[in-house]
Amino acid sequence: MRRTTIIAMAVVLGLFILSWILRSASYVTVQEHYLIGGLKVTFSAFLTLAILSFLYKDNPFYKFAEHLFVGVSAAFWMSMGFWTTIVGNLVPRISQSLSEFFQVPYQPGSYNFVYFIPVILGIMLLMRLSRNRGWLARWPLAFIVGTTAGLNFVRYLRSDFMEQVSATFVPLFVDWKGVGYFISHFSLSASGQFVAIVANWVIFLGVICGIIYFFFSKEHKGVFGAASRVGIWVLMITFGASFGYTVMGRISLLVGRITFLFRDWLGWIS
Amino acid sequence: MKCKSLVILLFVCGFFALAAAEEGSGPPDSTHVDSIPPPTPVSMLTARDSENDHGHSVTLMWELSTDDGAGQNSVLSYEIFRWVPFFMDTLQSIRDSLAGAEGTIAEQLRKRRDQAIAMIPGAHKSYPEQGGWRKIGTALSGQSSYEDVGVKDRGSPDYMADHTDYYYLVDAVTADPAIRAPSEIVGPVQSFGQFFNTGRIPVFVAVLVFGLLTILFVTRARRGAELYVRPLAGIEAVDDAIGRATEMGKPILYVLGLGSAADIGTIASFTILGRVAKRVAEYQTKLIVPCYDPIVMTVAQETVKAAFLDAGRPDDYYEDIVYFVTQSQFAYVAAVNGTMLRELPATNMYMGVFFAESLILAETGALAGSIQIAGTDQVAQLPFFIVACDYTLIGEELYAASAYLGREPILLGSLKAQDYAKAAVIILAALGLLAASLNWTAFINLFSVTS
Amino acid sequence: MLDVTFGIPLVVLSDVGQAISLLLIGGGLLWIFIRSLKAKEVDRRVVFLFIFFAVAAPILFPITFQEKATPIVKKLFDKVESLPAGSKVLIAFDFDPAMAPEVQPMANAFTRHCLVKGYKVIFMSLWATGQALLTQTLERVVKGEFPEKQEGVDYINLGYKAGNEGVLNVIVTNFRMMFPTDVNGVPLDSTAVFDGIKSCGDLDLIISVGGGKPGIKEWVLFVGDRVNVPMGAGVAAVVAPQLYPYYPKQLLGLLGGVKGAAEYESELVKHYSRFEHTDTPGLRMMGPQTLAHVVIMAFIVIGNISYFIGRRRERRR
Repeated sequence: MRRTTIIAMAVVLGLFILSWILRSASYVTVQEHYLIGGLKVTFSAFLTLAILSFLYKDNPFYKFAEHLFVGVSAAFWMSMGFWTTIVGNLVPRISQSLSEFFQVPYQPGSYNFVYFIPVILGIMLLMRLSRNRGWLARWPLAFIVGTTAGLNFVRYLRSDFMEQVSATFVPLFVDWKGVGYFISHFSLSASGQFVAIVANWVIFLGVICGIIYFFFSKEHKGVFGAASRVGIWVLMITFGASFGYTVMGRISLLVGRITFLFRDWLGWIS
Repeated sequence: MKCKSLVILLFVCGFFALAAAEEGSGPPDSTHVDSIPPPTPVSMLTARDSENDHGHSVTLMWELSTDDGAGQNSVLSYEIFRWVPFFMDTLQSIRDSLAGAEGTIAEQLRKRRDQAIAMIPGAHKSYPEQGGWRKIGTALSGQSSYEDVGVKDRGSPDYMADHTDYYYLVDAVTADPAIRAPSEIVGPVQSFGQFFNTGRIPVFVAVLVFGLLTILFVTRARRGAELYVRPLAGIEAVDDAIGRATEMGKPILYVLGLGSAADIGTIASFTILGRVAKRVAEYQTKLIVPCYDPIVMTVAQETVKAAFLDAGRPDDYYEDIVYFVTQSQFAYVAAVNGTMLRELPATNMYMGVFFAESLILAETGALAGSIQIAGTDQVAQLPFFIVACDYTLIGEELYAASAYLGREPILLGSLKAQDYAKAAVIILAALGLLAASLNWTAFINLFSVTS
Repeated sequence: MLDVTFGIPLVVLSDVGQAISLLLIGGGLLWIFIRSLKAKEVDRRVVFLFIFFAVAAPILFPITFQEKATPIVKKLFDKVESLPAGSKVLIAFDFDPAMAPEVQPMANAFTRHCLVKGYKVIFMSLWATGQALLTQTLERVVKGEFPEKQEGVDYINLGYKAGNEGVLNVIVTNFRMMFPTDVNGVPLDSTAVFDGIKSCGDLDLIISVGGGKPGIKEWVLFVGDRVNVPMGAGVAAVVAPQLYPYYPKQLLGLLGGVKGAAEYESELVKHYSRFEHTDTPGLRMMGPQTLAHVVIMAFIVIGNISYFIGRRRERRR
């Protein structure tokens, strides 16, 4: 590492230590020691800025924050998996003594040997680590894939297929009482007849052309190709709207982070 | 004489006037309550087993009382009663004792409870002597049905036994709960489960049709029939991208996404990974596959190993090609970003299930100067891949790509079946449009799933 | 609002700050536009700085906007408003800290609305990280603003249960099989909240707040469609577009992102004067949100103009 980099890192760290001292001095809570409270806030701010510094360029602070995040999250999820799945879901159903050991409420009357099957499948999955017995891991994998497919097959067919297909059964002409009535009551308001008719046409044509775009058995030429192009336009407009929505989501996360920096760390706003 | 008569007349008139005034007044409450006459009871009360369920439920239906919303308009609600044998109190006391018991006592109580539960149908046969009417629910005025739903769990106080004779009656109730009209008693009725839920017939038909189509086309594919799949731009770019990486002497980064091994997008990605790994083995390019899910990692390792074997280069395979990072979304992204900027891969492939990290990955890859090919079925992430990547497989194109590259009969046959299902949807949508416009409710109701 | 005012009246500082921020942003955009017309490159770090400034300035010098609820939000609000007294409502906290700035304001608004109407509220989470955020809402909103509400009587916390769709598959027919007790170990049968509730079918409304998997889609697939319980949703903006097909048949209403949260909060404040001085992060965030969006739109327009000008220049060559 170059000397300027070391000096820069030392300066930044020094500034954060100073910030910790200043933050702790104004930290008022009875739940924890003021130095600990100040350290939490300052360290959170340090990590936030370290990750954001990636926008300038890759640097040792970003690398430190990245590796810390990866390590802590791996440990967190391993611990979570044990305490919520094995201790939370399995132990209270199979053993009173284990429930007492882990201090979780035992569920009397729920004991069933069937609960040992996922235990055996889980152990088989761990066999993946063994060179000779690694093939055993394929069986629980097949079980997982098959069960999920079976559980989801009918549900998705109902909610994402049947319900959506019936939702496209919209009338092309809404509240139609003749051309004269349509013209005399013409309005561009969102609840008006014209907008309702246009909306239904857009839904119908959008669905049909979108499905045609995803038709893989025929090349997209002629009328079929034209419909497919309309379909991709509809898709792109939808993606644009979705993009816009997501930009809103990302900005709101940034707002949350900057609010934390200004309010909890720097104390500039209340 | 005349004056005397007048005075008597006035007195008599005054007396009658007073009497009339007293009749009109009086304590308002007592005359107000007393003035509600009993309402007419409900009529045509029927009880039958609830349809399309696993049992433990009885549906009651009736004709509204004539004083509900009409006539005297005095009915505010209906109270539903079921005849319950006194034996059920004994069962409940066993349950209450069991709740606080432990060890062997609990075991004994559980046995007694189960024996008692077995005696429920017999106890109900003692109607009407050894039991009483118990209120089980209320329906508001205007309602003409009620579902008495119990649970299947024998340990629950709400357990309702099947194949047991139940008796019901319904009271029409006014503002004064004492003033009510009971209906005729209906019963015996027994609850039982149905094997077939008729409310889901449309889904059953769809499952059959789609299943048959899939079997048909998979069989045809297995017999060697040529099943055409139109070319996809993203897939044709894969080979070029691998060649580019080989020429530049830089690695290829393949990201399987954040899905589990049971997600369709991840399964499709495995097939594409197999094809990419085979090419990589042939060209002897470096491949990096960081994984989010441990099970996905194990499958990916198998896939890559098999691909290297197919390419005739089993010795070139090493364990660290496919490695686990972390199961935390943004920690995984941070790690992959770091890898991108340090290893500087020539080609990045993002195939699978992605969430909020998609744009971060694609932007960093663009910064590193890599050519990027992406494919996901997550609609929310497609805009980001389209904007930041060179080629994108949109939604179902990812599944089609895995069929196109893998050329496995099952994949090709499924793709064909899906295409025919899509054609059916187009036809149905057009017919549905006509039906909605011309008010053919029978056609529209064919697609309604009720339970 | 600003805490550090250097002795200057807050209103003056705020107005001056807003004016200076808007001038700087406007001037900067003009500078970028001129640079791009001259076909000069603009470093992406300048763009990042602009976004940072566009977000930070309205946080320091607040700009607030009036919000009017769109029909998709209003329908859900009206449904919650119109439920009979004593209704049983389930609120699922299916999100993690990464989504919290967007969706926690919604969860808090739903909680306030249900409690002020006197409904019985059941809290639960399908996400491990959702439990801590649920606890935050319980501490700040339930115990902080409704100290008269009793746990077990007016609300209950079931906590987190591992199993994703597997959990939903069970509670749709039998709650107690998956949650025999609440998060404090109290049996559900001994709580007044769970009187008469055997399964999800006995609930009057289910509101899922989240944006990932498992989330609203799983609730609709595994619970809503199966037992026909009314369902509402509050989701992160990124997921909202793909849930529109479920509205209005399968979802009564949908709050999408901070905008949805702001609309619901404004309806709540309009209907209930007790919430006039409550913190409304959704409404507060719309100021920086709006300014950032304006800046992004300006960048898109400038980028497109310079792209087409550049293409024309190349053709001339």
